[in-house]
Amino acid sequence: MSTIKKIKNLKEFSTANDRFEGAHLLCPGCAHSIIVRELMNCTDDNLVIASNTGCLEVSTAVYPYTSWDTSWIHIGFENAATAASGAEAMYKARKKKGTLKDPDAPVKFVAFGGDGSTFDIGFQWMSGAFERGHDFTYICLDNENYANTGGQRSSSTPVGASTSTAPAGRISYGKKQKKKDIVAIMAAHGAPYVAQLAPNKWKSMVKGFQKALDTEGPCFINTVSACTTEWKFDPKDTISITDLATDSLMFPVYEIINGTELNILYRPKNIIPVEEYLAAQGRYKHLFKPENRHVIDAIQKDIDEKWEYLQRREEAKV
Amino acid sequence: MVNESKSVKEFISLEKTELLDWDEVNQGVLLESFNSLNQNPAFLKQEERDYAQTNSYAASVADWRAVKPVYNRDICIDCQNCWVFCPDTSIVSRDKVMIGIDYHHCKGCGVCVEVCPTNPKSLLMFVEREDVDEALSKWPEKKKKSKGEEK
Amino acid sequence: MAEKIDLPEVVVWDGNFAAANALRQAQVDVVSAYPITPSTPIVEGYGKFVSDGYVDGEFVMVESEHAAMSGCVGASAAGGRVATATSSQGFALMVEVLYQASGMRLPIVLCVVNRALASPLNVRGDHGDMYLGRDSGWIQFDAYNAQEAYDLTLCAFKIGEDHSVRLPVMVHQDGFITSHTAQNVYPLSDDDAYGFVGKFKEMDEMLDFTRPVTYGAQTEEDWHYEHKAKQHKALIDSRSVIDKVFEEFEKKTGRKYNRVESYMMDDAEVAIVALGTTVETARLVAKQIREEKGIKAGVVSPRVFRPFPFDDIRDALKNTKAVACFDRSSPGGALGMLYNEVSGALMTLDKMPIMTNYIYGLGGRDLTTQSITEVYEELAKNAKDGKRSGKVQQFLSLRGPKMEYFE
Repeated sequence: MSTIKKIKNLKEFSTANDRFEGAHLLCPGCAHSIIVRELMNCTDDNLVIASNTGCLEVSTAVYPYTSWDTSWIHIGFENAATAASGAEAMYKARKKKGTLKDPDAPVKFVAFGGDGSTFDIGFQWMSGAFERGHDFTYICLDNENYANTGGQRSSSTPVGASTSTAPAGRISYGKKQKKKDIVAIMAAHGAPYVAQLAPNKWKSMVKGFQKALDTEGPCFINTVSACTTEWKFDPKDTISITDLATDSLMFPVYEIINGTELNILYRPKNIIPVEEYLAAQGRYKHLFKPENRHVIDAIQKDIDEKWEYLQRREEAKV
Repeated sequence: MVNESKSVKEFISLEKTELLDWDEVNQGVLLESFNSLNQNPAFLKQEERDYAQTNSYAASVADWRAVKPVYNRDICIDCQNCWVFCPDTSIVSRDKVMIGIDYHHCKGCGVCVEVCPTNPKSLLMFVEREDVDEALSKWPEKKKKSKGEEK
Repeated sequence: MAEKIDLPEVVVWDGNFAAANALRQAQVDVVSAYPITPSTPIVEGYGKFVSDGYVDGEFVMVESEHAAMSGCVGASAAGGRVATATSSQGFALMVEVLYQASGMRLPIVLCVVNRALASPLNVRGDHGDMYLGRDSGWIQFDAYNAQEAYDLTLCAFKIGEDHSVRLPVMVHQDGFITSHTAQNVYPLSDDDAYGFVGKFKEMDEMLDFTRPVTYGAQTEEDWHYEHKAKQHKALIDSRSVIDKVFEEFEKKTGRKYNRVESYMMDDAEVAIVALGTTVETARLVAKQIREEKGIKAGVVSPRVFRPFPFDDIRDALKNTKAVACFDRSSPGGALGMLYNEVSGALMTLDKMPIMTNYIYGLGGRDLTTQSITEVYEELAKNAKDGKRSGKVQQFLSLRGPKMEYFE
């Protein structure tokens, strides 16, 4: 039985009672908490949340304070997906045995991880949980680096970005390797619902979250989380940078249902050149040197090809 | 502010948190969110909840700010943009109507000002020590769009 | 409803199958596991129980041992009875989660089938994995045979889940020598076993929505020390619950477990301290050498080596003249754990016995009664001379020139 609550517009959405409290330690302007709030407000169900080590975990559960109004667990860097798996299995076992305190209370299991834990160190754990088919939703808060420890590169860091372990320098333009296509990888696991969502497009994010929570089985959502500290922009610009990310199609917003139905959820009225997005962040400023301009061209080319691919796949319904 | 719960006597700065002895800390580093809960917190407003002292809601990050947002009720159209995009659960809205800023938890990031669509904006940043009424009296006029200027 | 199995009074089980049956009878809610030699049959046996309808709980076959323990932690925090099994490399892989589990004070039972750690790769019985987990903050038992593996696993649930304890518990058994050796075991009936372990009593469960809890917080330098001290105290204090449960178990079965087992120690002048199957071999030799050579030999073995049985070890050995500590783990440039910890306890005596350390049995190398006999004879000589005849540390049954260190 579906427990999705109808949210027609932002005014209606604003009547939700926040279950993510302030006085956490995230940087002013951090998009992580915007995303977490959109998730926790999109449903009234009880939530059991697991978090990998990372900015979110380290800022919301530092003894003696917790910012979570629902049960929450952090074990280590890799294993939020497995913590959620274990909790979900316990729920199933106790439901079968009739030992739950409130067996009719709706509950959803959610795991959060940054890109570092999702794309890299925790990949196996997430992959295993998806293969086993646990009923949970995995949300990646993608700020394209190991932000918690000072901005080291991850396999989510895009080409040309400068990070502390692959910095731009005299002979290097930053990261050379392409970003892993995590959405495609998770769709290939046979997950019933995967998506890439953005917090500025709150309506499609909320709808996507709701769909994932409501879909039985493991669902994966990658979310673009603009990082004021490591992307190097003013904290007040988090949403406008995210606007540039979605309007340049650096971060296309789309979903894949049952591995075959791809729907593009945001079509920019005017697609802006990626150069505008790159120019707004300190981590890309070295690309504007004449010797690095070819990298910007390569980035634009990849974006164009990806957008073309998404549109074709949406049309072909495969 | 309307979202203040009676369970918190004083919103103390994180810095001033009292240090406990080994026999006073929670077993297993466990943290509780509430003292008591008679229903799912999703159905309770913040002011209706019995927060535990170990909930970060009971703490204050006001001392993080160098600048603060000031809210102008007269201009606001209750669009709720600021509410949805606040990273610190510091925009207080009740029954689709904007109430104001929770200054215990606001870090002064300025996102709310940027996403405010009105002209002039209904939220503006002022230095921390500025008196709110003073700030309201200094509110700018509507900005005229010159030809070719982007919105 | 899970079906029961009508067990006869005595069965022929190896250590692995004994552990698997204990898990079945305890009615574990979630077993989150991964296979590794020589513990694999525990997981296979349990999997067969599941597929034949003898288990009500969930059986989650995860993708690595680290995930196995992570799943156990998530399940235990959610609230319920949790267990798993592993060995060696798998144990090593899950080590960080072992510390996380105990730090969060979550009851979990881990059956460890002791096997050597690579490199070189070896699947045989050795205590390398056991020694790796010493400081992980778990209560740790050692079983010397299949009966004990079965009994101690049942006790482990009752002890770890006690609300005044709330700690994870390991039950060790020797790889292959115990785990794969068919032995007589006297099991409890399904009803008696579950009745002894009892129904799981929830505490701080994530699935209690009337009381949301946060697990796994970070502690800065202002807080960490107090939390770890509190955890240490919990381990030390668990001794009284362990003793109580062992007493209850004796009433139920007639089998008495002690935190330190003493064999022929009343008048012993020399003693061997050991863990695992070596204990039974040493007991055999001690009895023999008393009859044949008149050496007053005894055997002391920790049954519960975490929390370390400081007082009981000292009491057991206080009247001896020479003690040999046997360590079945690659010493890595130092003396063995049993030597270090037992010596540490005995240092509080007015007169310490002469202490020696024997490294043996690595990677499944057999330890013969002949070797033990020779050790007792060396101990008798040390006792008579009032000093060590050789160096402190020796390697038993090592091919090549004699290896000994420290004097």
